[in-house]
Amino acid sequence: MDKHRRDDSPSGLSDIVERDGLLGTGITSRHIEAFGRKVTSTAGHLMGPSGDPSTSTHYQNAMVDIHRELRRPSTQRKVFALAQTTPTDLVRSKLSTSEIQSRAISSLPDELLLNIPDDTSSYSLFEGFQATQNDHEYRKAHRRGRSKGKKLLKDKDGEQADPPSTLTELKKERDLLSRRMELMGVRKNMCSSEIVDIDNKIANFHRMRQIVLDRLAGLEMEEAELEHEVNEIDNKLDDMAEEEAAQAAQAAAAAAAATTAGSETHEEPASEDPAMDASFMSESIYQKLPSPRSLKHRSIRKRSMPVLHEHFAPGSEIKEFQAHTDVVTALDLDYPFGTMITAALDDTVRVWDLNIGRCTGFLEGHNASVRCLQIEDNVVATGSMDATVKLWDLSRARTTHRDNRVNKDEDDDAVSVAYSTSLEDCHVYSLDAHVGEVTALHFKGNTLVSGSADKTLRHWDLVKGRCVQTLDVLWAAAQASSLGNESQWRPSGRLPDASADFVGAVQCFDAALACGTADGMVRLWDLRSGQVHRSLVGHTGPVSCLQFDDVHLVTGSLDRSIRIWDLRMGSIYDAYGYDKPVTSMMFDTKRIVAAAGENVVKVYDKADGHHWDCGAGVGADETGPDPAIVERVRLKDGFLIEGRRDGIVAAWTC
Amino acid sequence: MTSSNLPYAADAESPLKPAELQVLRAQYEKEGDYVGVQTKFNYAWGLIKSNFRADQQEGVRLLSEIFRAHPERRRECLFYLALGNYKLGNYGEARRYNDLLIDKEPGNLQAASLRTLIDDRVSREGMVGIAIVGGLALAAGVVGGLLFRGQRR
Repeated sequence: MDKHRRDDSPSGLSDIVERDGLLGTGITSRHIEAFGRKVTSTAGHLMGPSGDPSTSTHYQNAMVDIHRELRRPSTQRKVFALAQTTPTDLVRSKLSTSEIQSRAISSLPDELLLNIPDDTSSYSLFEGFQATQNDHEYRKAHRRGRSKGKKLLKDKDGEQADPPSTLTELKKERDLLSRRMELMGVRKNMCSSEIVDIDNKIANFHRMRQIVLDRLAGLEMEEAELEHEVNEIDNKLDDMAEEEAAQAAQAAAAAAAATTAGSETHEEPASEDPAMDASFMSESIYQKLPSPRSLKHRSIRKRSMPVLHEHFAPGSEIKEFQAHTDVVTALDLDYPFGTMITAALDDTVRVWDLNIGRCTGFLEGHNASVRCLQIEDNVVATGSMDATVKLWDLSRARTTHRDNRVNKDEDDDAVSVAYSTSLEDCHVYSLDAHVGEVTALHFKGNTLVSGSADKTLRHWDLVKGRCVQTLDVLWAAAQASSLGNESQWRPSGRLPDASADFVGAVQCFDAALACGTADGMVRLWDLRSGQVHRSLVGHTGPVSCLQFDDVHLVTGSLDRSIRIWDLRMGSIYDAYGYDKPVTSMMFDTKRIVAAAGENVVKVYDKADGHHWDCGAGVGADETGPDPAIVERVRLKDGFLIEGRRDGIVAAWTC
Repeated sequence: MTSSNLPYAADAESPLKPAELQVLRAQYEKEGDYVGVQTKFNYAWGLIKSNFRADQQEGVRLLSEIFRAHPERRRECLFYLALGNYKLGNYGEARRYNDLLIDKEPGNLQAASLRTLIDDRVSREGMVGIAIVGGLALAAGVVGGLLFRGQRR
């Protein structure tokens, strides 16, 4: 009430309002003043004539006193202690929904406010803001400034500019430039801190990637276990079916009936499961009636596709085995983490399960070392120095070997011995017509082509197990030279390498056949006519390896180069060289890998043309024993296996 | 952080040109989800400098996001949050942030000036409220007085 009376004094009120305005640091809100004045004037008008002058001054003095007190912040705060904020703010924060929403969004909890670390940034946000702002302005100004500068130069050429004005202008410009220098510094800081920021983010993503990768690994393990269980149950089901079939067979009549039963069972269950007829029919029948369907049968293990290796960093090691005690001469795998077959000069052929990383058995039957081999699904073809090609069907061994594994959970040796005996059933047939060692082979579908040191290629029908035709390389070469468009057979530019195979590599697809020979030629044959329809000349040393897809043919040679040919044009598409002879090469969709007499695998990235090394020799320069030279490489979907001279076989991601 | 690296409150009262703000906004939108802290701050500060309340609110929201996501920028953000809330008239929040900053950095001139500004605003608006009430009372008194006088005549 007292206050109200004080307010009655017009001059007092105006005093308060005006001084209040001055009190603020420079920011005077006009309307408050105007309002104050209005109140003063109206009150003055109304009260002036009738008001008592003495009381008026009294009130005025009192007001000034009180106001002085009010000016002191402490008192001020005491007066408005209740009001941490203004009434309008209070009203707004309680009543307006949009206001409440925006506050809720932008409000910060106390624990965050308590956790305020020291500032370590090299520049403040405000500096950054200024720098960017000036940058935009500068860019705008710069366009004009440049033309201006040119004009200035012209002026100088034409007439003498005013010296004092140039001096001040130059000074101004210097200041401007030094200011810009400063801002440049800030902006540089901004950039580097942004880079650090991004690096941190990348590191974070790497960690996340690792976590997800671990999860993927776990899932794949689980998947493998589940698959194993499913296979076991399948096996049990097969066993039961087998027993039933055996009973049925016993009930059936003797010899004549038995043969018909044999062919019948061949018709029906072969489509279901080859494992069943494997144990049902005797081995002799099998050799007479090799089923193409059983060859085509896809492994039951292939139900799931491991993808883990695709996410590893390229060039990281997955597994390493001391597979053999001598030089690895050939190796192949069916799919990543699937089955691998290796052959070495120690005269053994081993079967490996890449998933568990163990040798699961031997393929025994050859009288000499195996020089070349291939695995496709469950079918393995091996070509040996004893001039034979042998065909194996791994799916026939699978059931027994599973049984073994289930029954005996003993040490590795016992198990592998058990496997090796069981793998004897795998042998499908021998293809023996060559008179020299088999150095190259390839099969696709029911067609197998083998190349031998007897200087011929043979084309086999896998259904009948017979040789369909013989392709004489020398004859083809002579014919080509007689036609006059090709040079005669010549033992390559250099001295014929004694170690080089006459036929270094073959690959067939349907009726198309490519073969690389010791004269450095790559010949493309048509299996229907048995004629060479194109020769690719270019290599100056024996061709040791080749592979083609629908567009390109890639060949590697002992002349130390790898050539990529355009299949359609028959012309060279690309070529690159290494320091040592290329002994083995393979490509997938992304990369070409090659063994080139070094302790690393040479990798060529097809997409970006980048060359890099992969393998044990990469990091091992001085430390430890030097890894042996890589002899053979195989690559499937980014899964690389390599075999070395000391018998070690390792798997890598690529 | 030295206090020279903070703007004074007066700086917040000068809005950017729409084109300038548009540049900042474009940059902010261009960087999308992985927006850098500086870009975000530039846009937020541009918004706070604006005269539109909605812009200012958005600016404060962005600042609070920066505060959450970047601990190393928290101390700086405190000041801008205080300033933004001051401009919005949320004096309670503004005081909360600013006082915290002053606790951390007693020598910070900008924060000290902002504190007086906030105190001022609060007291002035309080005064205005009192003035309004007083004015009304006065007017009532005068009218009553006039009527009374008229009656007496």
